[in-house]
Amino acid sequence: MTAQNRLEQLREKFGAAIRRTDFPADNRLFVHIAPAAVKGICQYLFKDLGARYVISIGTDDRPYSGNFLVAHTFAFDADHLLCSVLVELPADKPSLESISEVVPAASWAEREMQDLVGIEPVGHKYLKRLVLPDGWPQGLHPLRKDARWDDVPTGYSDDRELTFDDPPEGCMVVPFGPFHPTLDEPAHFRLYVEGEMVRGCEYRGFMAHRGIEKLAESVMSYNDIPMLAERICGICGCVHSVAYTQAVESAAALKPPPRAEFIRTIMLEIERLHSHLLWTGLACHILGFDTLFMQSFRIREPIMWIAEKITGNRKTYALCQIGGVRWDFTPELKVELRQTLDKLEAEWRPIVNAVSGDTNIQKRTRGVGVADKKLVKSVGLVGPVARAAGVDMDCRRDHPYAAYDRVDFNVITQNDGDVWSRLLVRLQEVFESIRIIRQCLDKMPDGPLQLEIKDELPIGRIGLSSIEAPRGESHHFVITGENNRPRRWRVRAPTYQNLQGVPMMIKDQQIADMTISLGSIDPCFSCTDRMETIDLRSGAAKVWSQEELLKLAQARNRS
Amino acid sequence: MNRAMAWTILSGALNVAAVLLLAPLFQGILRKITARIQSRQGPPVWQPYFDLLKLLGKEDIESGETPAMQRFAAYLSLATVLTLACLVPMGVAAPMNGAGDVILLIYLLTLSGICTLLAGLAAGSTYSLLGISREMMSMISLEPLLVVVLITGALHVHSLRLDSVLNGSLYSGGGIPWSGLVLLGVMLAAFQAFVQRVPFDISEAETELMEGPLVEYSGPKLALFKYAHMVKLIIYSALFASLFMPWGSHLEFPMGWLLFWMKVLGLVLLVTLVAATHARYRIDQAIRYFASLLVVAAIGLVLASYGY
Repeated sequence: MTAQNRLEQLREKFGAAIRRTDFPADNRLFVHIAPAAVKGICQYLFKDLGARYVISIGTDDRPYSGNFLVAHTFAFDADHLLCSVLVELPADKPSLESISEVVPAASWAEREMQDLVGIEPVGHKYLKRLVLPDGWPQGLHPLRKDARWDDVPTGYSDDRELTFDDPPEGCMVVPFGPFHPTLDEPAHFRLYVEGEMVRGCEYRGFMAHRGIEKLAESVMSYNDIPMLAERICGICGCVHSVAYTQAVESAAALKPPPRAEFIRTIMLEIERLHSHLLWTGLACHILGFDTLFMQSFRIREPIMWIAEKITGNRKTYALCQIGGVRWDFTPELKVELRQTLDKLEAEWRPIVNAVSGDTNIQKRTRGVGVADKKLVKSVGLVGPVARAAGVDMDCRRDHPYAAYDRVDFNVITQNDGDVWSRLLVRLQEVFESIRIIRQCLDKMPDGPLQLEIKDELPIGRIGLSSIEAPRGESHHFVITGENNRPRRWRVRAPTYQNLQGVPMMIKDQQIADMTISLGSIDPCFSCTDRMETIDLRSGAAKVWSQEELLKLAQARNRS
Repeated sequence: MNRAMAWTILSGALNVAAVLLLAPLFQGILRKITARIQSRQGPPVWQPYFDLLKLLGKEDIESGETPAMQRFAAYLSLATVLTLACLVPMGVAAPMNGAGDVILLIYLLTLSGICTLLAGLAAGSTYSLLGISREMMSMISLEPLLVVVLITGALHVHSLRLDSVLNGSLYSGGGIPWSGLVLLGVMLAAFQAFVQRVPFDISEAETELMEGPLVEYSGPKLALFKYAHMVKLIIYSALFASLFMPWGSHLEFPMGWLLFWMKVLGLVLLVTLVAATHARYRIDQAIRYFASLLVVAAIGLVLASYGY
């Protein structure tokens, strides 16, 4: 169905509530609606039309239109369509009916909206703080335009301890994190444990906020932000950088030259290769199988080397700018990349065969951390977690970007939805990535790397971009703005949705399965925690007081 | 003081010195081979000595809830395994042969598990409590296996004396030693669990429980525990060698002694290989595994009581 058909379906039912529509391209649909109809329309999209929930964004649009703006974004994967439902809210009363009752996947996004922009989701069942620490003063919303990016508010106390819910009766609390050997980054799960069984958990994360979005929309420019976006994550940085660039390009209706698109595709797949190999290693380490952990990392290493040869860096590629890429492939590099891929394929196949037949690993992963199709739909799980549950979904095919529409590959799915299925999906996806890169090398046309952009980018346009990161769909939302920078940039990493499913996956399982269940979504807390300004809760506090650190940081910022 | 007594003291000291000196070396070999299997360079085989020295030289921080008990557990742990070293023949006859029998041996082996329990209790953290609950569960299901093996040996030789039982007694039934072979299989299958290595390092499970009972230990006391852990590998290997691989134990001092340590090295290599090719089991899976082994062991005991 086309965007036009989908719009007609909406018109038929909610004609009166639709104020304005906009479809800038075949694969994008923006519907501006009256606030009162938001829950009904979202329910219709999500439940009746079978759309997949992507993300909700709240933004302070007061300086430009005098209103607050909320966008609920849904995806029609089979139609290759991203659809945003936009609502304008009056400046004096920014509140909107919550949709999380009908779309459970929206729960976090709405809590975040309340924390950062101060848009109240009326009727949300669990409005505890998500992003802001408990010591942050009430009524101060950092993503509002009148909040300065470098301000530490008066009355902020960063030693205030987090408040937690009461555990259910008869359960012991096992704190998992903020620091734990299998968590590479801080995040806190309070597990409610009965004997060895996990009965529930509460998640408090967002402990390493870096204020990336605020920084971007306050002080950086369009072409700086890809570098910043890349630093959101140490594993899938290139994904964020490409996703942001594509979101801006989609807003400004720019199309990079074909050679640039192929180069982006290759680098994204190289990133997937190293990420999947890294994950396989870490998962084995979590299971206590260190031999495979070491072998995975050994096989992975040449990928890092070839990435360094192409871009100058093992990991942070600095690849994208608006309308193109910065690195080219020489013929020698192409030959070397092919050799690396051949070696990788030859070394990876025996590993896949060994793992696929290993009963020992199956014992620890089969039936563990199960997320079925129903959970995938309701919480909006993405990537290998969704594909392992038999949900045939892959942004590379469903929302083609870069050069993915010109290469041939399979979307790997499994049916059990457990950790074992996720393992199999990732093991096989490595071969698909190798196939994609080889095709790209064959088909890459000659030509420029960069589109010539003569005019200023248009202002106030919305751009969406979904990219299949190694961990699932990474979605970026951009509203273009003045001063050569976006007004609003919202990053939704795959872990943002996948983490919301973890409490359901680990319920009524052994505590020993907690680490691998969490590990199986390949959680990336830095992606999830990307926003906000404060975190000084570091171990260094013994040497430096937090105030001293703060002063030091501020002095450096201003110099 | 007669000659026998002097020999007892001397061989006891020899055993204790040997395990203390060689345990880190075997650990080093284990680490080196593991590294090779994993395509790594690996640390030098002397590394465990340096590790222990380093830990022994560190500041002694007592961060648990009951430091006195923590201290006691650490000392007791090493003391227990060293006492065991005097009871188990290691290429020379069991030095303190007359001082105890196999029942004492069983108690001492249990005691070294109790030390872990005490350590975990003293630390008082949630993870250490989870660790000791796992430790206890596996101890309760593992200990009977060893008891069955020792009792079978005792049945065959009609004695509980250490030097009789710990000298290939399992094969001394009439004709083909069926019970001995059954129990050999059982012990081989459970050996990894007795020495607490992957896939049965469940109670410490670094990636799940952050070393479990040892979570609050650091510095010298951690060194004592680590040392005890390394020595344990030797003690169990020695027990296994004496029970199931008695060949050559009657040889004169240097030869028999060397042969014994070769056997231990063989067992350490076996442990290394198994550890490098397995993922950790969950506690419920492990217990089920031990339970099935116990059933097989019981069959062995029945066979032994009928003289097979």
